[in-house]
Amino acid sequence: METGQLVQQLTQHDGASDGSVLRSNVGRISITREASHSFFSTLKNDFGFDHCSLISAVDNQTGFELVYHFSIVDAAGQMLEVHIDLPRDTPTVDSITHLWGGADWHEREAYDLMGIYFIGHPDLKRVLLPDGFAGHPLRKDYVYEIHEEEW
Amino acid sequence: MSRQQVRGNPRMRKGLGSRTSDPATMMEDPPSGDWLTLRSDQFLNWVDDAVYNIAEKTGIRDVVNRVTRPIFNWGLRYSPWPLHLGIMCCALEMGAAGGPDHDSERMGVVYRSSPRQCDILIVNGPVCEKLRPKLKTLYEQMADPKWVIAMGECAIGGGPYWDSYSVVAGADTFMPVDVYIPGCPVRPEALMHGFLTLQKKIREKEPGYFLRR
Repeated sequence: METGQLVQQLTQHDGASDGSVLRSNVGRISITREASHSFFSTLKNDFGFDHCSLISAVDNQTGFELVYHFSIVDAAGQMLEVHIDLPRDTPTVDSITHLWGGADWHEREAYDLMGIYFIGHPDLKRVLLPDGFAGHPLRKDYVYEIHEEEW
Repeated sequence: MSRQQVRGNPRMRKGLGSRTSDPATMMEDPPSGDWLTLRSDQFLNWVDDAVYNIAEKTGIRDVVNRVTRPIFNWGLRYSPWPLHLGIMCCALEMGAAGGPDHDSERMGVVYRSSPRQCDILIVNGPVCEKLRPKLKTLYEQMADPKWVIAMGECAIGGGPYWDSYSVVAGADTFMPVDVYIPGCPVRPEALMHGFLTLQKKIREKEPGYFLRR
């Protein structure tokens, strides 16, 4: 399927908007967080995106933005960028680990460093920082205190 | 040699019994019947009573020290075995120092993989909060006498990550460091010079005692 045709079909989905073609095999689309669950199921089951490459979290000061990268593992190597805007006071979104198992640690990393809560994640705990760390350090409003400990 | 001059963590020694010949605190006789079974602290107390205190009181220890000190010190000096531990990019320079160009093995620097067999802990990279307790455990697992080399800016003072949320500002904030090697990364020649500096320090500072406590 052509990328333009693919994006056009996906834009028909409930809650989808801003469909565009970035490069010859890379598409981009925005989705509301309420519609994300059914949208991702469609993406996996009907369009055959079988690989979740990356989940990035961006702090835009007014809110958070999640950027998912999905790809189809074949010769064409089509990729799709999915953007989800989240409000700052409730940064929650549905987990996609039941669709793509590889998203597990990506979601844990986004939770660890940026404080995005993924509803339905089987084991949402810190992955990079030690347990008991206070706060989410990649947020713009994170205040760092120099920690000193005697030996 | 007073107790303060003994290297290592004094807290590690607290559990080792009284170590004195005072009869009030001396070890009780084990109950008859199973007198062959000694706990480790009982054994150490027995060694103190039967060997150390006698050698100390009779002056034998000083005499033997005078003979063995040069030999033991020579042995310590020319076999400083570091732990084969790589944290970040300075570990590659450590590998280069062990390679055929520089060949640190000609100075007796043989990398070992177990902390029980090592004398030197080379901290060759930034120590993050998650690594710090593990590194301290490695240090405490090494047998005395032991030394620590802080290799590179990150191990000395945190380097470019000194005010990071997860990196400890220097290895000497949680363990005693003997030799600091600046550089980012440290060149293999500098690491060799660090080993030679440590040799000099062992020659001057380390007694190499017979019957050390």
